[in-house]
Amino acid sequence: MFENVAHVLEELGKQDYICDKKIGTVVFLAQQLEKPVLVEGPAGVGKTELAKVVAAATGRRLIRLQCYEGLDEAKALYEWEYSKQLLYTQILKERFSQAMSGAKTLREAAERVAQEDSVFFSDHFIVPRPLLEAITSPDPVLLLIDEVDKADPEFEAFLLEVLSDFQVTVPELGTIEATQRPLVFLTSNNAREMSDALKRRCLHLFIDYPTEADERRILELKVPGAAEGLVSDVVGMMQRLRDLDLKKLPSISETLDWARALLALNARELDEDLVNQTFNVILKYEGDVRKAQGELDKLLQKQAIREGAPVPAPGAPQKPASASKKGALH
Amino acid sequence: MQKKILEFTNILRKSGIRVSPAESIDAFAALDDLSVEDREIFQDALRATMVKRGEEVPTFDELFDLFWSGFYDNLRDSFAQATGELGEMGVDFETLVQQIVEMLNGMEGDFGDLSELARALLTSDLSQLENLIRQAAEGAGADRIENFLQVGFFSRRTLEGMGLEDAREELGGLADALEQAGMSPEQIAALRKLIEGLMEAARRSVRAFTERELQQQNHDYMEKFRRETLLEKSFYHLSEEEIRKMREVVERLAQRIKNILSIKKRRLKRGKLDLRQTLRRNMSRGGIPFELIFKRRKKDRPKLVILTDVSSSVANVSRFMLQFVYSLQEAFTKIRAFVFVSELGEVTPIFQEKDISEAIEDALEGGTVINVYTRSNFGHAFHHFWQNYLSAIDNKTTVLILGDARNNYNDPRAWCLREIHHKAKNVVWLNPENPSAWGFGDSVMDKYLPYTDVAEECRNLRQLSKLVDSLLL
Ligand SMILES: Nc1ncnc2c1ncn2[C@@H]1O[C@H](COP(=O)(O)OP(=O)(O)OP(=O)(O)O)[C@@H](O)[C@H]1O
Ligand SMILES: [Mg+2]
Repeated sequence: MFENVAHVLEELGKQDYICDKKIGTVVFLAQQLEKPVLVEGPAGVGKTELAKVVAAATGRRLIRLQCYEGLDEAKALYEWEYSKQLLYTQILKERFSQAMSGAKTLREAAERVAQEDSVFFSDHFIVPRPLLEAITSPDPVLLLIDEVDKADPEFEAFLLEVLSDFQVTVPELGTIEATQRPLVFLTSNNAREMSDALKRRCLHLFIDYPTEADERRILELKVPGAAEGLVSDVVGMMQRLRDLDLKKLPSISETLDWARALLALNARELDEDLVNQTFNVILKYEGDVRKAQGELDKLLQKQAIREGAPVPAPGAPQKPASASKKGALH
Repeated sequence: MQKKILEFTNILRKSGIRVSPAESIDAFAALDDLSVEDREIFQDALRATMVKRGEEVPTFDELFDLFWSGFYDNLRDSFAQATGELGEMGVDFETLVQQIVEMLNGMEGDFGDLSELARALLTSDLSQLENLIRQAAEGAGADRIENFLQVGFFSRRTLEGMGLEDAREELGGLADALEQAGMSPEQIAALRKLIEGLMEAARRSVRAFTERELQQQNHDYMEKFRRETLLEKSFYHLSEEEIRKMREVVERLAQRIKNILSIKKRRLKRGKLDLRQTLRRNMSRGGIPFELIFKRRKKDRPKLVILTDVSSSVANVSRFMLQFVYSLQEAFTKIRAFVFVSELGEVTPIFQEKDISEAIEDALEGGTVINVYTRSNFGHAFHHFWQNYLSAIDNKTTVLILGDARNNYNDPRAWCLREIHHKAKNVVWLNPENPSAWGFGDSVMDKYLPYTDVAEECRNLRQLSKLVDSLLL
């Protein structure tokens, strides 16, 4: 249990997750109000990671439902283990004939078999999928519904029903209610906008690209061996890259990949050659690489000015406001 | 506090942020669990519970500042000025108030006899003052303010409502009484000066409050006005800024349609058992049906072929048509898009590779796909389509044509459209011109009309969305 927002930040920090008050507040509210959180934001800013660290920090088991096009109720909720049912009927043939022996008419025989129905439609033959697992779990869990925007709108409508009251109806078994409400995180890259109805049921959290200071802290945590100069160069460069008009802006995962790659090359700071060699680690499109190379002078020159300038110490230059707009949803 | 939040919710609603009752209840519940003292957390909590769209966040933050922070700061500054002036006279505000209280204790009157307002003023109790001003402003109907000429009027009514004049007399009386009771002349002078300062501060604060109210209301009006008029505004007259705004509106309309479609689709689920397939699949198991095969429900999502005229006369309509259709991609089985002026070219791949706004710019820009700097020639374009792409059309395809049919006196070659019409499920033509102009001058709309199933005027977003609605729903 988190006691307050500050406590959330502290506990997530212990899980090596760097975040601001905004994230802390929403996580705290999710716990207090028992409401699902819809986390939106560009790729790679730590949406999935947030759910994972909250699970770890609260000692909840993580149950993950990865969404994709074509995902349906059966794969998300439960399936009858049909072949097992059939196997049992074969094995129990004997018992059936016993039950049926003495039946005078076909109808009577059928009725007797029907009475045994409930044997075959019991928990014994049900295969729980993540949603049912989360609802029936006896210990506290965190349900992560990842990339919900990839699922079809029909599936979203179904989720809505489940998330409204955390109960599901299996026609053969009746209604199953959650023994304890799972914490629910839904993540979306905004491939498709979620319906208003779903949003109304959720707390909303928009995670943007990190500030320069936060990104530096993340790097220091996750790539411990990197030289201080390298960290500054990488973070500065990433922040400026996000000001360019690129098709895909590089995210935290790219920052980490890049720093690791540079570290493997024994780099202690960035120079033009090095950047050119490794651009493909952070930029995924040919067009973006070209665009960035065109601006390389500016990207690196700024840095030279910053290094040469007497006043701003590393960490001091703040991200310009325009950078955060880039991540906004369009 | 709850009342204040409800008031804030109303303001959000008026600015187009749809906050449902359930969401304001969430907001209350959230504040039960948090300390309101930390403005940042307070703001984050309201945002998380009430705002669910990325593009609404800036509006929310702006209104939050206007509503929650701005006024209190203003109040603090005004009153700090009034009490600070005492310092110039060598009197400390706190000590003065302390002395007044002591003297009152020795007399029969007491502090509690003063009205709420007089007391709040004298002690500079800011949150109490904020409450009193809000109440009075509400009583005065200040939320109905529409333009800056009314600021004076509503400020006066608010001041009357809160009884500032009465409070002034009360405080004046208090000063007289203290004078008689033997307070030193310097202190009395300071007190009288303080009273004047407080009056001035109160007046200034009320005025600031009314002005803020006006700003909030204007914000609402502007937003609403912008959205309403954008729907009606002719595509022919759009500024850059409006085009940008329009994209959001199109996105919202498309989302609405998607929601309706998804609810409809949920009703259709898995189909019936496919007996023949099931038996065939389970042959090897002696015909015991271990694995069941179900018939797939056929999805009757339409196929769509769009032909858009992108000559400069209709470029804006084309832009939104393309955006609309592509925002609704999943509602169709297959979309193929072509653009033309005189040449015709396919732009489907661009839409698969690029993000939507970039793709649209590409499709509309010259050079990349077709030459757009020629004069429209529908006949030539249709002929080209008929020669090269007729196979894209079958009896499940809806062909959507967008253009003004101004053919620059070229041969309309209506027979090409006849052939297309013959193969397609239906042909829908959207024309940005009014039907009364069809067929006049160089318009050949009348020649094409017999080969369309639907032909409608489409001059603004409202018409466009109605058409797309009827196409899909
Ligand atoms: N605030 C953070 N503190 C520490 N590490 C972070 C933080 N944010 C992101 N990371 C790291 O960045 C990487 C990407 O995060 P994650 O996979 O959660 O992104 P995502 O937003 O879910 O991306 P996608 O939209 O592509 O699924 C992970 O390796 C994660 O450890
Ligand atoms: Mg993820």
